[in-house]
Amino acid sequence: MWKEIGDREAGKIRPNSFSSRIKSNRISNLQLSNHKDIVSPHRGSINSLQVDLTEGRYLLSGASDASAAVYDVQKATNYEGNGLIAKHKYLFLVDKQHEKGHKYAISSAIWYPVDTGLFVTGSYDHCIKVWDTNTTQVVMNFKMPGKVYRTAMSTLATSHMLIAAGTEDVQVRLCDISSGAFAHTLSGHRDGIMTAEWSTSSEWVLITGGCDGAIRFWDIRRAGCFLVLDQSQSQLGRRPPVLGRSAANKVSVSKLTSAGQSSLVKSRAPQKKYANGHGIKQSTIGRMPGKGSARQRVHPGMLSIQDRATAHYGAVTGLKVTEDGMYLLSAGSDSRIKLWDLESGYNTLVNFEMVRLQTSKAIQLAISQDSAHVFVPCMAVVKAFDVWSGKMSLAFRGHYESVNCCWFSSQDQELYTGGSDRQILVWSPRKSISDDMDEGHAKDQDNWSD
Amino acid sequence: MEKGKKRTREENKEEIEAGSSDADHSLSLEQNLTFSDTLVALRIMRAQFPQIDKAAIQPFILQSQLYSSVKDRTQVDRDLESLRREKVVRIFKLNTGQDDHGIMLLDDYIKQMEHVIRRMEERKQGDLEVFKWFKAYVIESKLEPSIEHQELCSLLSLGGRVKDDHISLLINAGLLTRQLIDPNMYWFAIPNIGSILKGISQGRKELISLLNRRRYKEMMLVPLEKKRLRLSPLDMRFHLRDLIGSGHLKTAHSPTGIVVRVSKD
Repeated sequence: MWKEIGDREAGKIRPNSFSSRIKSNRISNLQLSNHKDIVSPHRGSINSLQVDLTEGRYLLSGASDASAAVYDVQKATNYEGNGLIAKHKYLFLVDKQHEKGHKYAISSAIWYPVDTGLFVTGSYDHCIKVWDTNTTQVVMNFKMPGKVYRTAMSTLATSHMLIAAGTEDVQVRLCDISSGAFAHTLSGHRDGIMTAEWSTSSEWVLITGGCDGAIRFWDIRRAGCFLVLDQSQSQLGRRPPVLGRSAANKVSVSKLTSAGQSSLVKSRAPQKKYANGHGIKQSTIGRMPGKGSARQRVHPGMLSIQDRATAHYGAVTGLKVTEDGMYLLSAGSDSRIKLWDLESGYNTLVNFEMVRLQTSKAIQLAISQDSAHVFVPCMAVVKAFDVWSGKMSLAFRGHYESVNCCWFSSQDQELYTGGSDRQILVWSPRKSISDDMDEGHAKDQDNWSD
Repeated sequence: MEKGKKRTREENKEEIEAGSSDADHSLSLEQNLTFSDTLVALRIMRAQFPQIDKAAIQPFILQSQLYSSVKDRTQVDRDLESLRREKVVRIFKLNTGQDDHGIMLLDDYIKQMEHVIRRMEERKQGDLEVFKWFKAYVIESKLEPSIEHQELCSLLSLGGRVKDDHISLLINAGLLTRQLIDPNMYWFAIPNIGSILKGISQGRKELISLLNRRRYKEMMLVPLEKKRLRLSPLDMRFHLRDLIGSGHLKTAHSPTGIVVRVSKD
């Protein structure tokens, strides 16, 4: 360790690689924390965890007993066990007793991305509430047509303040905080929407995963989705080979030429440029086939409704975009995790060994900052996988019942997991307690030799 | 470590032809649990497919069996994808549960199809030219495990006029099945495979309950392999590879050999 610091000083190691080496070292010895504990006041299973994105200091949790609480994960409220174990109690709690609180389970609690002054909760009582953190009052209330499964706000947004809401209704709704009204709805899914995430590379792109197994990409400035992920479209490797793109197109091109007409065609909007391009001409976008039952002319943006490609054989229960915006990880109720290359829209065929995943509830995945590790809650265990090879590297066993959500704080390399056993567990890199004890001794002694 | 057999593809093909009759008896599972290459694993497992007298069926391999035989699962997926694109194998989705896929060599599938077509010709049930169109146009060009109704009709119409009766004939023969979720999509299917699929799911349950009944939920691989399953026409080796690959069973090395135990996660 000291040698590496010396090398960095001398310029032999770059500062970035030095810090990433230390970070990955710490991640590889993550274990149940022996010096930090979060005291959870919830009386229902914990459905959502998020640490705020501005300071990385406040953890927001939402639970099934309609309560949401905030904890300070950097400064403990009190110490136990001779000052060795830091206990973090909740800073405040909003629950059913609150005059405008939620009545049923909170499925999703997220911070306002710009600062910690606001947070947004979505619940099974068909409401999305925006709360003011300092006064713990409800500032805004949006009524949804069905149970809210997920709310998401874009971390990159500078020109909009939209909350994307995925509910049991087939339409994705965008709620605007600045005006208090719904901005617009996105149609295309054929069943409820379990997960929604904003893209980390564009403030206009929203990704949703539905109970019908489809993952759709929406540009909110236009109608209809511009991409539906299909699990049968795959590429061999992290990025498609430069010359091999013609091989990937062989299948789709032969499909088009052998069939007389391209009836159910995956439409690509004219503006979006795709490096792979499925060779679909712009003239086919307005044309509808006359075979079978007569169909009305459909708006070009709504042609994506006919695209029935599925990304998973069951519902899509978890979505996570990597921080560089190039890859997407999706978890499905068919107990598969798939890694998608976002630029080409293909499945990279990385196989993550999984026996069972929770099927009825959505799960929250977490990715480390350098996109090397993904943390997946599989029933009562949280498993860490290497993203590129799919091999399991760590298993975190500590919860008594199934784990619903996890959040990885890349600042401290700590993992927070919440489960149906009402506990929030902290997993941190090994810290030897003996260091602290020695310090205590040395304080009272002088350095004089007697 | 098990001895991984590193062989080139051509060498192996000859060996398989010569020694396929011995393959069943002399090679024990313990020594041949893993292989180095997906195609090698496919060919060897195809040779080890048990002979079933009741149903005349060509050998097929489950995808989970491949996962237990080759170390790197991602490599298996990618190799299968390239073999599928080269039209060496065909992949079918089976209805025995969560994401089960069956892999069949294309030649075997064509043989199986012809067997079924001959049976239907004997019964003289309607126009049989749809099978020729199916083989010539659909199987050649559509490599995915599922197909949409419109696309099926347009591909078949390259041979002649397509009527709804033709599609019912294909479904009756067992070559296509409707998807439960979506009435417009069909799965490609292996004909005459029903009894074997039932045997697969019952055999899995029986094997897991066999191990669960033991005190420590584990057993040595060598005596386990010698046992016979009552409810399944397929042999123990088939089921062991399948369950180890799907993660329900785990293997561990012990000084006396390999131990198979039920995984607790």
